[in-house]
Amino acid sequence: MEMPQYDPNTKPEFELYTIPSHSSWFRWDDIHETERTALKEFFDGSSISRTPKIYKEYRDFMINKYREEPSRRLTFTQVRKSLVGDVSLLHKVFRFLDEWGLINFGAVSRGDDSDNRDSSLGDTELKNQVKIEEGAPNGVRVVALPNSLKPISVPNSGADGSGNGKVAVAGETGVKLPPLASYSDVFGDLVKLKGFKCGSCGEQCNSGCYEYSKGSFVICEKCFKNGNYGEDKSKDDFRFSDLGGNSLTHGATWTEAETLLLLESVMRHGDNWELVAQNVPTKSKLDCISKLIELPFGEFMMGSAHEMNSCPTGSLNSLKEGQSASSENQNDVKMEDQVHDQMNESKQNGDAATEEPPAKRKRIAPLSDGGSTLIKQVGGLDSVLDNLEHYQTFLLMDCSDASFEVAHISTMVGPHVTAAAAEAAVAALCNESSCPREIFDGDEDYLANGLSSPTMVSDPERALQVDASKMEENQSETQDASSEKNDVPLNLRIRTATATALGAAAANAKLLADQEDREIEHLVAIIIETQMKKLHSKINYFDDLELIMEKEYNEMMQLKECLVEERIDVLERALKTGVSKWRS
Amino acid sequence: KFRMPTADNLVPIRLDIETEGQRYKDAFTWNPSDPDSEVVVFAKRTVRDLKLPPQFITQIAQSIQTQLTEFRSYEGQDMYTAEKIVPIKLDLRVNHTLIKDHFLWDLNNYESDPEEFARTFCNDMGIEDPEVGPAVAFAIREQLYEIAIQSVASAREIKISKKGRRGAEHAISSKGGGNALDLMKLFRYNSSVVRKRKEWYVYEPIVDILSNEEVDALEAREDRNTR
Repeated sequence: MEMPQYDPNTKPEFELYTIPSHSSWFRWDDIHETERTALKEFFDGSSISRTPKIYKEYRDFMINKYREEPSRRLTFTQVRKSLVGDVSLLHKVFRFLDEWGLINFGAVSRGDDSDNRDSSLGDTELKNQVKIEEGAPNGVRVVALPNSLKPISVPNSGADGSGNGKVAVAGETGVKLPPLASYSDVFGDLVKLKGFKCGSCGEQCNSGCYEYSKGSFVICEKCFKNGNYGEDKSKDDFRFSDLGGNSLTHGATWTEAETLLLLESVMRHGDNWELVAQNVPTKSKLDCISKLIELPFGEFMMGSAHEMNSCPTGSLNSLKEGQSASSENQNDVKMEDQVHDQMNESKQNGDAATEEPPAKRKRIAPLSDGGSTLIKQVGGLDSVLDNLEHYQTFLLMDCSDASFEVAHISTMVGPHVTAAAAEAAVAALCNESSCPREIFDGDEDYLANGLSSPTMVSDPERALQVDASKMEENQSETQDASSEKNDVPLNLRIRTATATALGAAAANAKLLADQEDREIEHLVAIIIETQMKKLHSKINYFDDLELIMEKEYNEMMQLKECLVEERIDVLERALKTGVSKWRS
Repeated sequence: KFRMPTADNLVPIRLDIETEGQRYKDAFTWNPSDPDSEVVVFAKRTVRDLKLPPQFITQIAQSIQTQLTEFRSYEGQDMYTAEKIVPIKLDLRVNHTLIKDHFLWDLNNYESDPEEFARTFCNDMGIEDPEVGPAVAFAIREQLYEIAIQSVASAREIKISKKGRRGAEHAISSKGGGNALDLMKLFRYNSSVVRKRKEWYVYEPIVDILSNEEVDALEAREDRNTR
């Protein structure tokens, strides 16, 4: 028996035609309410030339005509010559079918259609059909008509067939809304890209790479063109994957000056991306947002910008301090990243870090050399040097500001964290060499007084252990300079040490927290998707089950009828032969 | 009531004026609800834009006015409003494009739009000359106008005949113009509205792009015919 869902035009194997999911009401055998309301003229019995039967003929003819060649766009003029009837009415039917995607759904869209079309149907090809499979998603760029129920979504490009792509979004299931202004595929970075290195020439593949489909071999575009496929691999095995498409590097290169501008404008304008984009002349709004997110504490900065502005003292000083704090955070992150081995990010972070210091360096020109020796002792890294240099200047300018800075950091990160970090740093420093211990013994009191009771936070602790290990590597350097430190006043040393510690703690804590958040989001999204898929397949299963049950039921009925007939037959014969008494 | 059986009640106006060796041919649609003063303004503007000698102004204005008056004379009269599907034939030349077409139009459909049809036509056939669309729409309108006039006349007749005779239906179908298709025959229950394939070519549009020489030749022939 015929199943109403299947296309009666089928040949031995089913041919699937694509229609959008909002047209899944369509049935060949029947006329749906949607059609009745949209094309009233056929159903109100007003004329002998407009009947449902005639409508069905028009409709079926047009759809079949389109399906003769699904890739070409069926024009009205092609069908009207074959149909008897008023051309205006035919045109109405044609438009109706066109808008609902029952024809011309997979066809190339026309160029100059702005005048007479309300909607232009996009170029998707999803292997999905009237047999509603998993929520057919894609987009059809539609301007919603008043009485229609169509979703408005982004057009997708077809993987095969004639679809000439518009926006190439990796077609997934589910209706997609147009991307938000700040949309960026953060997970792509974290999950996919681990910095593809070409397998044959060893260079970085930046824009696109060819992936070997049978393994995990990757070659860059150049090699692919030149034919260096690597041993035992042939050209066909490689699949092109474009890394540059959806990646964050829209504006590609961010120079130091631009990044600095960006940070400053974010400090000033916070979330007002229009102004930020204006201030950074060469980068668009999207680029700014994505770049800021890329930078470690980019988001932190966006939050801190607000804090800064509402800060009670509200002086330029505090702004500078905030900036330097975040810059030092970035610098410390650079340290951390090298330890944690996140290649891509670290490069960008490294860029950011190196960009900041040069800018800041200009401000610290008048610097006494005396301070630098102490710095060498504490850590051997340039970044730390800069941090401390910053604090040197501030301290020279105004000692109170430094403590304010420390207090400020603690408000940003949480006094517990900073205290713990400070303690851990102090401990770490003490481990390095015995000399500082004397100095810092006095320091501990200061810390205990100045900050609230410490609670250990594992993350910063861990980070600082790493810090400590790094510092221990430089221990040899520090030993030499240990003698010189006596020249420097106690106050300075204390303050610089604590500042470093706090910075390190804040840096790492924020970084890890952000990471966690993102991972969580990503995983939740995956979970939701899988659940959806599960549900869909369950539904399909049940549909199939229903069908089977129906068939069985019919068979049973038939069987029952048969049996009844037989029984009647038997009875008849029995009666005919004159059996008087019926013995069951 | 009499009106153009289209969504917009526009009158097709055709001008063909010859003075002092210059000939001005034009065809456009006019909105009859515009004030008559507009006619003179339009004439003056046309003459200025096309740099015609000033005698044309009065002639253009007169011609337009006459046609408008004729249109208005039909207004207020009854039009036969039963359903009528008429065949419309297009056979026109616009600059380098030659169009031949044949299709059906429902006179009773007051929402019909010749301009939209022309737009679809040009888009589907890929016609780039922007003058073709309006010309097609005008041709359709002109024919509809003629048929509308006829229907007024036939309505008058029917009124007369209705008093005497029954079976006015048959009279209608015979008098309503030989153009009207017999709906009964076409849309019968047994028959299909899909045409036989061999008939498709009859109703198919033909668009030819002519070369310059052909254009000249055709123009010369047209002139000879009109004189």
